[in-house]
This record gives sequence, C-alpha cells and structure tokens, in this order.
Amino acid sequence: MNKNSNTYIIIYTVVMVVLVAVLLSVTALSLQPLQKENELGAKKTAILEAMGAQEADYASVVKAYAVDAEGNTIEGVTADDALQMLFGLKGAFDAGTYPVFENVENGYVVVPLTGKGLWDDIWGYVALDKDKNTIQGIVLDHAGETPGLGAEIKETKFERTFIGKTIYEADQLVSIAIVKGGAPKDDIHAVDAISGATKTVQGVQTMLKTCLSYYDAYFKSTQPVAESSEEAVVEGESNTENTENNEQE
Amino acid sequence: MSKNNEKEPLFSAKNMASLTNPFNKNNPVLVQILGICSALAVTVQLKPAVVMALSVTVVTAFSNLVMSLMRNSIPSRIRIIVQLVVIATLVILVDQFLKAFVYDVSVQLSVYVGLIITNCIIMGRVEAFALANKPWPSLLDGIGNGLGYGMILVIIGFVRELFGSGCLWGYRVIPESFYEAGYVNNGLMLFPPMALILVGFIIWFQRSRNKDLQEK
Repeated sequence: MNKNSNTYIIIYTVVMVVLVAVLLSVTALSLQPLQKENELGAKKTAILEAMGAQEADYASVVKAYAVDAEGNTIEGVTADDALQMLFGLKGAFDAGTYPVFENVENGYVVVPLTGKGLWDDIWGYVALDKDKNTIQGIVLDHAGETPGLGAEIKETKFERTFIGKTIYEADQLVSIAIVKGGAPKDDIHAVDAISGATKTVQGVQTMLKTCLSYYDAYFKSTQPVAESSEEAVVEGESNTENTENNEQE
Repeated sequence: MSKNNEKEPLFSAKNMASLTNPFNKNNPVLVQILGICSALAVTVQLKPAVVMALSVTVVTAFSNLVMSLMRNSIPSRIRIIVQLVVIATLVILVDQFLKAFVYDVSVQLSVYVGLIITNCIIMGRVEAFALANKPWPSLLDGIGNGLGYGMILVIIGFVRELFGSGCLWGYRVIPESFYEAGYVNNGLMLFPPMALILVGFIIWFQRSRNKDLQEK
C-alpha cells in the first residue's frame, strides 16, 4: 500500500493510537497500587514530621480518627478511613468530617490543611500541643508555586517560625497572621511573610484560618482548663528551645 | 532513505563512534547546543540532575530504537506527530515507573519529567539519526547522547550544589568551621544563569583543546 495515501495514514494513525492507549492504561493500572502506597507513605511521613517524630513508626505512635463540626469523634471512622480522607481532603471537609492525627506519646495533635496558593493548590499539616493552642510543628507543600518565592513555604526556615506561636487569644480562634514587612517580635499570633511571595503566604494565612476553624469546637472541648495566654507563651518559648536543640542534633 | 541527509559533523558507519562521539566531539549540550533548558533547571542539586540524566538517556535510547524500527512504515506527512506520540508515551512510562519505585525522587522531579518531551535532544536525535539508520546504531546513538548530556548535567550539578549550598547529594560537605571563618555559600550558583555561565566555561575549555570545534 502506498505509504503516503490517505487510507494508509488513517489506518496507521488509528492503530498507533490504540496501541499507545492500551500500553499506557495497562501500565498505569498495574502500577497504581504501588503508587498509592507511596503517596500514603509520604503523607504519613509528613504527619510524623509535623509532630517532630520523623524517626517514629507511624503505626505505633499515631492514633487517627475524625471529628464532626461539634467536636465529637465520629463513630465508625477507622484510622485507615481518616488517612484516606487525606486523598480528598476538600471533599472530606465539605462532608463535615475532619480527620485528626494524635501522637499517643506526647499528646500532640496534627490536623491537615488544604488551600490555594497563587498558582495552584497548597496544603500541609499543623501540629498543636496538648493545650490545642501552641503550634509545635508545621509542614507545608505546594503544587506549583514559584521556585525561590512562593515555593519557599516548603522550607524548614519558614516552617520553623511557626513553632511556639499560639492560635487562641482567650476564647477566640485568631489563627496565625503572616505579616508582610515582618511581624512584631513579641506577637505570639504572627510570623514574618516571605519577600516576593505575598500572594502565596496570604494563601497560607487563609488556609490556616479556614481549616483551623473547622476544628474550633474540637479544640475547645479538649483543651485543658483555661490557662492564661501568658502561660502559653512561656510554654511556647521553652518548647521552641527544645525543638531547636532537637533539630541541631 | 539516503544517508546524505545526515547532519552530524563526523559521519561514520562505525557503531562505537555513535556511542562515544556525544561525549566530546558531538556533545549534545556543548556542541549541538540542545537540552540547555533542563540543564539549567535541574542542576541546582546533584541528585535530581543524575535522575534527570538517567531518565533522558532511557527516553532518548528507546525513542531512537522505536523510531528506527518504525522508520520504513511511517507516512512522511505525519512524521513529526508520530515522533511526538512515541516520545510522549515513553516519558509517561518513565514517570509512572518513577512514581511507583522511587517516589521521593519523582516528587522532586515532578514538573521536569513532563518537560523531558520538550528536550530538543530527543527529537533532534530522532530526526538526525534514527529515521535514517538501523535500530542498533540508533540505540547506541541514543544512549551516547543521553550519557553525554548526563555528563554535563553531573558536572554542573556538582559545582552548583557544592558552591551554592555546601552540600553534595544532600550531605553537608563544607564543614561548619569554614562558615565560622567567614565562608559564605555562593547564592548566585542557585540561579539558572549561573548554569549557563558554567556551560560557557566548559565550552571554552573544550574548544581550546579541540581545534576542529573552533569556528573559522
């Protein structure tokens, strides 16, 4: 058959496309379990990292469950279910289910975050102390922020600035403000923004406020009986020193 | 198909020449000036540079092989489209395998893997070699060009990571004592233009040693 005839070209194209489609589908489907497992492993690592327990074994250290908008633990949600919610976090939040990951050894709780950066999605995990007020760790990530600018939210340098900050002012959930031009040194509810990444860090600020507010009832119901905010600051500072010492090791 | 359509400077029927030329005399980055974009983008650190080099080698080698096997059946009117389909398929396969077997690396490379298809080296070699040569020499040519590109990536990645962050492969190499004595990481190394400058230095070095690469 003439290689340049229309018939040949059409048949050739159809056969090629079908073969390629089959090859890619078979590969994707057969590798999917492995890939899903890898993604799950990465999420577990991120949760452990937020808790400051990177070396620990997830299964023995983390208790996972979900709470509703009133702060009550939802019956029938297994640890695996809570993990699976992370694959469609926005959907889980919309459905009124909010996963929580608790470190059984030190009582830290990690809650997941999801939001929008400048270009694409951003997400993360924030770890609060037993007092459900002081931040002990945060892990942030992004899908497509600008390298060197918005992408810097991923750097430990930025994440570290959250440690020791508190999210409650008396009974009010104020979350964390990310201040362009630098936060006042003694402001326990604020961190410095990243130069050149204003829109991205605004996204982080909004993400924190929105997602933490989902857990407001849960936090309030599990907070130890009212500490003054001064005590929280002192606790936060000594925890910051401890965390810094741990990191240098 | 007439072999007079070749564009490579050193025309040779010898298979080994196909394999070794791209290391020096016909280096894709230094001489053919192809694949510059990814050479700038992934060489901030050594590890992604190495993974990218290996991925490009695999894709170039196999796309050369596949295209060479198909060369007598491809209608010339849709030649470029067929090349794109073959290369894109290979790249997606590489991406899937990375995600399944070396997940942490695939996360680092996530954006760049999709960019492999835009790497001129791959289509460049298919057009310049695979469509006019037998499968075995084409495969060797693909491997050679991939490794020649990889060699440059490793050199640049090595220099940029070492001087830009004091580390190699993520491990701290420059001791704390240097920093305390006043040594500072060269921040310029972390930016793409520095990679281009480094490529320029390498080209300078190569041409001063190879008279026949110097333009008259």
